[in-house]
Amino acid sequence: MVNWRQIFKVLGMLLFIEAGLLLITMGVALIYKEDVMPYVWTLIITLVLGIIGRGIGWNSGKNMGRRDGYLIVSLVWLVFSLIGMIPFILTDCVPDVASAFFETMSGFTSTGATIFDNIDILPKGILFWRSVTQWIGGIGIIFFTLAILPAFGVGEVKLFAAETTGPLHEKIHPRISVAVKWIGSVYLLLTILCIASLLICGMSAFDAVNIAMTTTGTGGFSPHSAFFHDQWNSKSIEYVTTVFMFLSGVNYTLLYYTVLKGRIRKFFQNPELRMYLAIVALTTAVCTVSLMIQDNQGDLELSFRQAIFTTVSIQTTTGFASYDYTLWPQVLMPVLMFLMFAGACSGSTSGGFKCIRWAILWEGLHNEFKRILHPRVVAPVKLGGEVIPTSIQKTLLAFVSLFVGSLFLGAFILVLCGVDEDYLTIYDFSLILRQDFTEAFSLSLSSLSNVGPALGYYGPAHSWAVISPMAKVVCSILMLIGRLEIFPILIIFTKGFWRKE
Amino acid sequence: MKIVIAGAGAVGTHLAQMLSKENFDIVLIDEQEERLAKLNNDLDIMTLVCSPTSIKGMKQAGIENANLFIAVTPNESENLLCCMLAKQLGAKRTVARIDNYEYLSEENKKLFENAGISSLIYPEYLAGKELAASIGYSWVRQLWEFDGDLILLSVKMHAINPLDKQQKTNAKNLLIGRTLREIGMDGHQFHVVAIKRKDETIIPSGEEKILSRDLVFFMTTRDQINNIRHLTGKDNYPQVKHVMIIGGGKLAVRTDGEIPDNYSVKIIEKDIARCEELGRITKHRTMILNGDGYDLDLLQDEGYNHIEAFAALTNNDEKNILACMAARRNGICNTYAQVENLAFIDMVESLDVGTVINKKMLAASHIYQMLLKADVNNVKMLTVADADVAEFIVKEGSKATKKPIMNIGIPNDVNIGGMIRNGRGELVSGKTQLLAGDRVVVFCGSQTLKKIERFFS
Repeated sequence: MVNWRQIFKVLGMLLFIEAGLLLITMGVALIYKEDVMPYVWTLIITLVLGIIGRGIGWNSGKNMGRRDGYLIVSLVWLVFSLIGMIPFILTDCVPDVASAFFETMSGFTSTGATIFDNIDILPKGILFWRSVTQWIGGIGIIFFTLAILPAFGVGEVKLFAAETTGPLHEKIHPRISVAVKWIGSVYLLLTILCIASLLICGMSAFDAVNIAMTTTGTGGFSPHSAFFHDQWNSKSIEYVTTVFMFLSGVNYTLLYYTVLKGRIRKFFQNPELRMYLAIVALTTAVCTVSLMIQDNQGDLELSFRQAIFTTVSIQTTTGFASYDYTLWPQVLMPVLMFLMFAGACSGSTSGGFKCIRWAILWEGLHNEFKRILHPRVVAPVKLGGEVIPTSIQKTLLAFVSLFVGSLFLGAFILVLCGVDEDYLTIYDFSLILRQDFTEAFSLSLSSLSNVGPALGYYGPAHSWAVISPMAKVVCSILMLIGRLEIFPILIIFTKGFWRKE
Repeated sequence: MKIVIAGAGAVGTHLAQMLSKENFDIVLIDEQEERLAKLNNDLDIMTLVCSPTSIKGMKQAGIENANLFIAVTPNESENLLCCMLAKQLGAKRTVARIDNYEYLSEENKKLFENAGISSLIYPEYLAGKELAASIGYSWVRQLWEFDGDLILLSVKMHAINPLDKQQKTNAKNLLIGRTLREIGMDGHQFHVVAIKRKDETIIPSGEEKILSRDLVFFMTTRDQINNIRHLTGKDNYPQVKHVMIIGGGKLAVRTDGEIPDNYSVKIIEKDIARCEELGRITKHRTMILNGDGYDLDLLQDEGYNHIEAFAALTNNDEKNILACMAARRNGICNTYAQVENLAFIDMVESLDVGTVINKKMLAASHIYQMLLKADVNNVKMLTVADADVAEFIVKEGSKATKKPIMNIGIPNDVNIGGMIRNGRGELVSGKTQLLAGDRVVVFCGSQTLKKIERFFS
């Protein structure tokens, strides 16, 4: 049975965290001498709601059930987005509430799809707020809270498990609150290094901070509408961003062992990392060759730079663009689509299917073929010498079907909601039925994998402003489903979840 | 020298039997009286009925002046515990039988030494290592490697090549019917150090003839292996690439671990739970099959006709023997049978089974080597021949350094196979003068090892 008082209490506590983030954003607005009232109002609303939630949950005890954990995790992302959209509305940047919600959800889920056609004119405070949502959302709201609060009081393990991505969780410390602090420091270190590197490459301080936050969060919000190449025209910035996008796509537990414990060998022996490297290397090679032949008259460096930036950006689901990849040879589109689907490593800030699942699937397929030739063979699925239990393989299959199911269902609903660029404000069903399905499909994939830009019209060159408000809400939900890896959201809609026991 | 052995199982009993003939004072401890009763009548040893971990019992066995304490009960933790106790109570050296590969690693050695355990014995590992070492040579029965590329190998003599009954190839045994002196005239770089003929092991003189169906032991260097292969008419034996193992016990796992990665290995195990366990602990290339090793259909499906080596390593001796006989009938010339019952071994040798693996005997001989003064660093008990191979280090001022080998008066049933000088293996002739520091590989009749020790020290 769901313990609502407990849920209100935890949500109330988490709202204080969001209030803290808003306070920092207000500070940035103050520095740039912008109107701080929108943030003040949002702050007041957040604090009041936080106090109410905490009040309702007073004396709610120390017990947190499994159901409460899943519900809290799902609700907290929703509540954070609902509150996080208020500054967008109060500063009058957005045309409607759906757009504001979309933008905030795109931030917290570190997707990076935007509805702003011209980002450069936005107030600095809003730009900073977008980046903050991605930085926090990338590592996870619960994760972030656990990392900065001394202790949560109740149910850390359940909340953490519901939010962490990937099928396998390796513990680096017996106590989760300590483990989270260590991994959090790796995240912070990576962000600081990224800021410093970008500054050295000649980026302005504001841009460097924003780009660094959205890079390590693998979000993809940029403070400028223009492509990287057009905005900065700096090879070093492109390469530096590529490196940090790549690192942010690595499992943070692995980074922790490598960076803070110096286990370099363990880094390259990790089967997930090998899969990740293999996909990046292969797709980069394919793209480089195609670009060299087709677009760049044999310029190897240019082709390589374009290829590696784009493949890493898409696979880590960051979604930055240095050039417009939708203009690339059409033969590369399936490759990019696969990368959107593939995702980087589990336990990183990236979204998508995640390399560890590919690695397990690869081994599993290998075994299936073996079983056809040798019916009596007993071949466990092994990853890096460790056997993957059957239960995890089954969960993986369930995940595959749900992921693909959500993808197609999402695309179908998006078509009905209207996503064509020709779509006018008048809802005309006959127009809807005639529109192109491919746009909706790529939007659905991009949202579900938390990539940001899609293919076709909704590539990096255009914002998603023209899709209908309904479609924006659907995309937001797809993002949330994708970020929390489907199960925590869908479990809430099962009958058994609400059954009294 | 006083030796206390805890555990009168197969290894313990075998050790006691071997050692009692060597004038050692042996105390054998076991909890079960009936195991000891028979030994007490047969052997000149003292037996003690008590728990191996009992401190009182150990004191009663006179542990405080024991030179060696050997724990070979079936229980690993018990062995480790009683070794620790024995060391504290005054035993000079302790040996424990273990079941865990991890404990054998070089980095953990110090750990056990600090705990008072001088050496660890893992019979399955010893057997697996030996099996894996000889599996690559399909035409060789058994093969041992010494330092400096010195190699001892045994080959069965066949007048008619079993793989070539129609005499299509010109592979012919060039040794049968000739005396060792005649063969020696050809100037080959090998020694025939022993011949096993029917149930008898011969340490041959120059007049001994090689007959068909003899198992001949050659001492040679690595570069001469192919020469022996040619002389014995085994040129057409296939290169081993595919190995099939029946029975997924510990021995199978250790064998798999020691076989090089470029071989294909299939392990057939009946128990599905054990199969899953095997999948976890064996190498990646190894294929685990669930099924009965005597199910011919399964064997055929899995390439019974294309494998070059076959090992039956189940816990059932009779089935292992039968499986190997069937495999040989099927044309697999490289077969290994695990035979645990020591009483079977002589009988099995007369059957067409291939190589017999007995891990207890291996463990016993491994422990035996620790007893011979520290100068001996390798004693091998050959399961098929009733003879010892030992490695001695020639001491400064010993008899052997004063005259050439033929003049120092080494008994007839002793054969010096080769020596390792400055890390290089060399063969020895009667005229060779040994120097201090040489390591000599000696082949000798059963239980005479102690007698020849004096020549080298």
